[in-house]
Order: sequence, then structure tokens, then C-alpha cells
Amino acid sequence: MSSPYAVDLRGVTKRYNEIVAVNNMNLNIYKGEIFALLGPNGSGKSTTLKMLMGLVQPTNGEISVLGLDVVKEPVAVKEQVGYVPESPTIYEFLTGIEYLDFIADIYGVPTAEKQQRITEYLKALQLEGREGDMINSYSDGMKKKISLISAFLHKPKLLIFDEPLNALDPRSARIVKDLLHELKAQGVTTILSTHVLEIAEALCDRIAIMYQGNILALGTMEELRGRASMPNSGLEDIFLKLTGTGDLRAVVEELLR
Amino acid sequence: MNWKNVLYLLRVERKSGRLIRGIKATRYRENGFLAYWPYWVALIIGVLGGLIANAIVSSVYSDQAIGNLPFLTNGTLSVFVILPTVMLVFSFVFTLLQQIQLAGIKATGQVMYWLPVTWQEQTLASILSNLLGLPIAFVIGVGSGAIVFGAFNGLILQSLLTFAALIGAAFLASITTEILRLIQMRFIGAVYKSSGRAAIWVRLIGSLFFFVIIYVLYFYVIYGSGAVTLFTTLSNFQTTVWYVPFVWVALVVSYVFSGLFLQAALFTLLSALFIATLYHVAVFLNMRFGLYEPPAITLQKSGVYAPKAGLLGKLGFSTAEAAIIRKDSRAFTRRREMISIFIVPIIMIILPLMQSFGQTGRLGAGQGAGGIIFEAIIFLLPAGFTALLLGEVMIGEEGQSIWRIYASPISPKSLVKAKTSFLTLFSTVILLISGIIGIIVYQPPVEVSIAAFLGGFFMLLAVGIVGLTIGLKGPDFSQTRRARMVRQEWSLIGLVVGGAVGLFVLAPLIVTLGLSLFTGGAINTSNLAIGLAISIAISLAISIVFYRINLGIATDFLRKAQI
Repeated sequence: MSSPYAVDLRGVTKRYNEIVAVNNMNLNIYKGEIFALLGPNGSGKSTTLKMLMGLVQPTNGEISVLGLDVVKEPVAVKEQVGYVPESPTIYEFLTGIEYLDFIADIYGVPTAEKQQRITEYLKALQLEGREGDMINSYSDGMKKKISLISAFLHKPKLLIFDEPLNALDPRSARIVKDLLHELKAQGVTTILSTHVLEIAEALCDRIAIMYQGNILALGTMEELRGRASMPNSGLEDIFLKLTGTGDLRAVVEELLR
Repeated sequence: MNWKNVLYLLRVERKSGRLIRGIKATRYRENGFLAYWPYWVALIIGVLGGLIANAIVSSVYSDQAIGNLPFLTNGTLSVFVILPTVMLVFSFVFTLLQQIQLAGIKATGQVMYWLPVTWQEQTLASILSNLLGLPIAFVIGVGSGAIVFGAFNGLILQSLLTFAALIGAAFLASITTEILRLIQMRFIGAVYKSSGRAAIWVRLIGSLFFFVIIYVLYFYVIYGSGAVTLFTTLSNFQTTVWYVPFVWVALVVSYVFSGLFLQAALFTLLSALFIATLYHVAVFLNMRFGLYEPPAITLQKSGVYAPKAGLLGKLGFSTAEAAIIRKDSRAFTRRREMISIFIVPIIMIILPLMQSFGQTGRLGAGQGAGGIIFEAIIFLLPAGFTALLLGEVMIGEEGQSIWRIYASPISPKSLVKAKTSFLTLFSTVILLISGIIGIIVYQPPVEVSIAAFLGGFFMLLAVGIVGLTIGLKGPDFSQTRRARMVRQEWSLIGLVVGGAVGLFVLAPLIVTLGLSLFTGGAINTSNLAIGLAISIAISLAISIVFYRINLGIATDFLRKAQI
């Protein structure tokens, strides 16, 4: 019987010298789930996502993605994953269309499908007319759109996005959100990290709040409210309470002095 | 002008180059002494050079005072007189090279423009930062050598004046480069806008053409004639072209040494005015074009995207491998900093040609040992160096986009195969071009040409694969203003190992040709064939061994991705 988990982390730790970025993390993410990692800067979200992609090796622990060991079968894992880092540096000397062509070839997308998908995505995210320009002339938002398209092109089973909606215009952000919902219905799992709490609240089935490399709380919105004993609160209040950064008045007053 | 602002901007510029490369950023402390090691080394070399020169002079003329040796004094002064012009040429070429090697990334270069500094301060900092590194080290080394030698030989004032002139010449060169940089920014924008897809080729060929001219002039001045001829020619040349403002600094030195103080004062004033004018021009251009954003280069027209079936697929490459090769070939024609890769073989072709012409003064100099050596250099060095350099930078050139390779389902085998194929193909094209130039210029026998082509190909194959080993072991992905793409220590190791491999592969051919040449007999074709066969066998053995090593390193490289 196949595992219900798309991602399974067991006792995962990542140390950078004396700094512990991720501390003994145990986490299961179900197939077809949209899952958010929240946390302040430096809490270990990006490191966790990179470990899932095999871009950072864990110091301890085991990571299984789609039933495959990330360390032992990295190529097989990457074939099934679409990934967009927080600030994707992409080949700026290529045109948008050349970059997507490159990505489709790397993932072995058949020619006919490649043509159809690239054309559709360019149209949907309003990049038509600029696809032949070199990427170094693109705005940050356009680069983000190209990066997102490159993650969707090969129809992955798992999407890993670090701040996916940063720099996107509202229309494109809405398209991406709707697309993620549609893909969820098709069984695609999405894991994302974000600082925009409204996105996590509106989009995700479950949320993990990380702080200093540890998962402070994990669950649906209702479960998080219960955990924080804040039954009618939004995610922002829960987040601030759980991460111990709730009383910000003194900080602001200090800055204004 | 707030000089503190200029100093702060300079510090940031210098530090950003030092701190980022291969150093763990957390809790990093910089040793102030070691940070400026090129300047200390230049100073030590200069002082030692001055002492050694003085020791030689003292031992030869131990019984005579310097005043009794007018030819020595005159000789020293004539060297001092041309040093500023040599410094000007060197700094100009070097600062221009620095500019072309600047990475295409915009972020770091634009920060200065947001800060509360004036255009004057920003421009001055930019001019001075061009000089940091080799030009300043050169000024320190040559200047300190001159001062030490002058101090022991009664020429201290003259050497101090020369040192000041060296600084002036370097500064003049840097301002000129700054002006060219700013004009080029606007010019490139106009080219992009009007030429579309052709802009890529206009930029590439234009840059190469520009550098070919600069290098021909540079090598003509520096190497085209012997050192003695250079000194006398340049010394006379400076006086003849007194109306060219770039030699005015050197003329000041010349007039002071000749006791023509009125002329010296006049040219000092003119030099100062010229430098001030250039500086104001640079400030003006910086205000106009410093933040100019060239329009986008449109390479494809809008419309329905239609992927093409590639030739590479038919040659047996997987789609992923073909995609990497295509991407790399675009990188090498489109990225400004990659043009330096093209410049290396051009220099390797121009240098022996200039040397050869300098010695013989005519074409078709293929006779005798000298001719054979120049032929061999033209045939083998450009492609060999290109293969080694390409191998070393093939991984590091990915820069911060390396995450794309790490995150993609690319096997170590595909990565090594694609990178090796690209560098071999590229270097082979260089071999064909340089070989054809060699044949046209030196007209070697047919059998020597065939052996040179085949020997050259198998040499570049082995050297390129070894270069890739270096590139995989020591890539530098940092994208500071000048991307190195390979860590310096590994680059040095690569130079030694690659050179040794090249010589090892070619040794049988060198021995065969050398024996024929020095025994005075004709080249024995069967001996040449045997030598070539052994060279090919050595190359294949090295290539196979290092290709396998590369597969192992690439496996580790992809598995231990740390970004």
C-alpha cells in the first residue's frame, strides 16, 4: 500500500556550524494537500524547503518525497517536483521563451505538449508580447511569472514554492491561487512558505508555524486557533502570540524616539 | 566634494570584491594587512628590484661615482621618461578589460546612485575603483623600484617625479575608461533599439573588433620591438606627438630632466587642465547615462511559439543535454563578461604574430626553429588555452542560477557530457580558425599542418576535460561585479596541471619535430605519424581517466548542493 504522505520528514536537523537552522523536525504532508510554512525571518522555512529539494543536505534525519529518498534518489525526486525559490536567479541572457524551452527540455516534456503549455501559460500570465525579450529586461514580477511557469510546465506531482506570490500583480496572483486549487483537485501537493498570512489562511489546508528551527504549531486554522486559545482571531494574531512577538508597541515607540 | 564619501564608496567597492568569494560570511573578520596583499607584494618586488638593479650597477662600476657615469644616468632617465606612457597604455588596457568583464547584473552597480552622494563624488570613486588591483600594484611596484634605485644613484628627485607621473598616467587612463564606459552604455542602448536580434552579434563582434585593435596597438608598443628599441622609439615618439594630451604627463618628466623648466611648467598646467576636463566630461556623462537602462533586446517576434527539432538530438544527445549545450552557447555569445573567453585566443594569435613580425619584419616566416615555434604557438596555444579556460569556468559560469541545475533532474553523466561536448566543440572551432591563420601566415608543409590539427584537437580534448575537473572542484558562483567563475587557487592549479597535460600529450610530436629540426634534416612523415599516434593515445588515456573522475566529482557536486 502506497504511503498517504507526499512528504515525510523524520528527525531532520540542519546545522550551519553552531547555528541550528532546523531542529529535529518531524513532519508529514499529505498528498493533494496545500500546506504552508510560516515563521519569522531565519526560522528555517527556506532551509526546510531546500532540504525537500535536495538543495541542502540534512545534518541528521531522513527525508522522503513522494516515497523516494531525497538523498539516495535525487534525480527521480526532482523529475516529479516543481520548485520556485524565494528570489529565483534565472538565466538572464535567455529570452523568456528560450528559458521555458530549456526547462521543458530538461524535464523531457514532449515537443507538442511543450508548445501548447508554454503558449497557454504565457497567455494566462500576460507575458505575450514580451516572451521574445531577453530576461534581463524583465521586471521582478515578470521574472517571477517565468519561474512559476517553469515549475508548472512538466506537470509535477509536488510543488515547492518559497514566497510564490511575491512581486506578482493581483491578477496573476489570483490565477496562481486558482491554479493551485485546481491542481489540488487533481492530487497535486503544494508546499509553500510565505510571510503573507492572508494567503496562507485563504489558500492552505494546514499550516505549520516555525520559530528558531522548530515547529511551534501545526494544523488547520481551527486547530491553530484552539492551540493559541484565540477562537475568533485571524492568523496574524495567532502567529504573533505563538512566536512570542505579540507585544510590539514598545518596539515601535523605541523606533519613534 | 566630500572626500570621506569618496573613500567610503571606494572601501565598499574593494571590500565587496574581497568578502564575497568563497568566504563564510558569518562572523568574518578581515585582516587589514592581508587584505591589501597585492600592494604589499608589489612594494616588496619593487624595492627588491631596485636593490638588485643597484647591486648589479654597483658591482659593474664599483670604482666610479654615479656622476662619472653620464651614460648610466642618461639611460636611467630615459627609462624614467617613458614609464608614464607605458603605465598609461597598461592601465588603459587593463581597466578596459575590467569593464568588459563586469557581470551583466545591475543590482550592485546601482546602489551607489541611491545614496546621498554627489555625481562628482560618485564619478571620482568609480574612476579610482577602476584602478584598484593591478594598475595600483603596478604603480607601487615600478615606482618603488625607481625610487630605491634613484636613492642609491643620486636620482631621488627624478624618481619621485616619475612616481608622481605614474600616478597621473594611471589616473588619466582610468578617467578615459570611465568616459568610454558611459558612452558605451548609451551607444549599446541605441544598438539594441535599432538592431533587434542583430544586437547580439553587433555587440559581440564590435567588442572583439575593439579589443583586437587595442591589443594590436598594445603588443606593437610593448612587444613589437625589443626592449631597447622600445625605450628609444617611445622616448622619441613622445616628443614628436607632443600635441597628444595623453603624453603630456610623460613630457613634464622629460622636460624637467632636460632642465627645460618653463616647458615643464606649461605641460604640468596643460596636464592638469586635461585631467580636469576629462573628469568633468565623465561627471557630465555619468549624470546623463549613469542610470541609463538600455532597452530590451528582442530576439523573437511575438506569436505562436514553435519549438524546433535540434541537430544536437540527432547527434545522440538527450533533450536535457542538448538544452544545456544550447543554453551555454547562448551564454557565451550574449553575456558581456564571457567575451573575455573570446579575447584569450585572439591575444594568443596576435602575440606570436607581432613577435614574429617584429623579428622578421615579413610574412611567411615559417623557416627555421623560430618559425616552427611561432607556427606551433599559433596552432596550439589559442585552442589549448581556450579549452582549459572553458573547462575551468563551465560550471562557475552558471553563477547564482546554479540552483536551476541543482533543482533539475539532471544526472551527473548528462551534466559532464554536455559541458565536455560544448567546450570541445567551441575549442575545436578556435583550433580551426587559428590553424588556418597559421597556415596562411607560415605556410607549413601539408603533413605538419595535418599533424598540428590532429595533435591540437587531441591536446584540447585532454586539456579541456582536465579543465572541467578543475571547474567542478573549485567553482566560484559569486556574482560580484566581476565574476571569476573559478576560485583563484583552483585556477592556478588548473594552469599548472593543464599545462603539464598539454605538454605531455604533445611531447611525442615535439620530440619528432624537434629531432628533424635540430638535425637539419627534412621532416620524416612516418616518424611524424608515429609521434602523432602516440600523442593521440596519451590524450585518449588522459581524457578517459579524467572523464571518469569528472563523473565522480559531478555526482558529489550535485548531491552535496549547498545553496
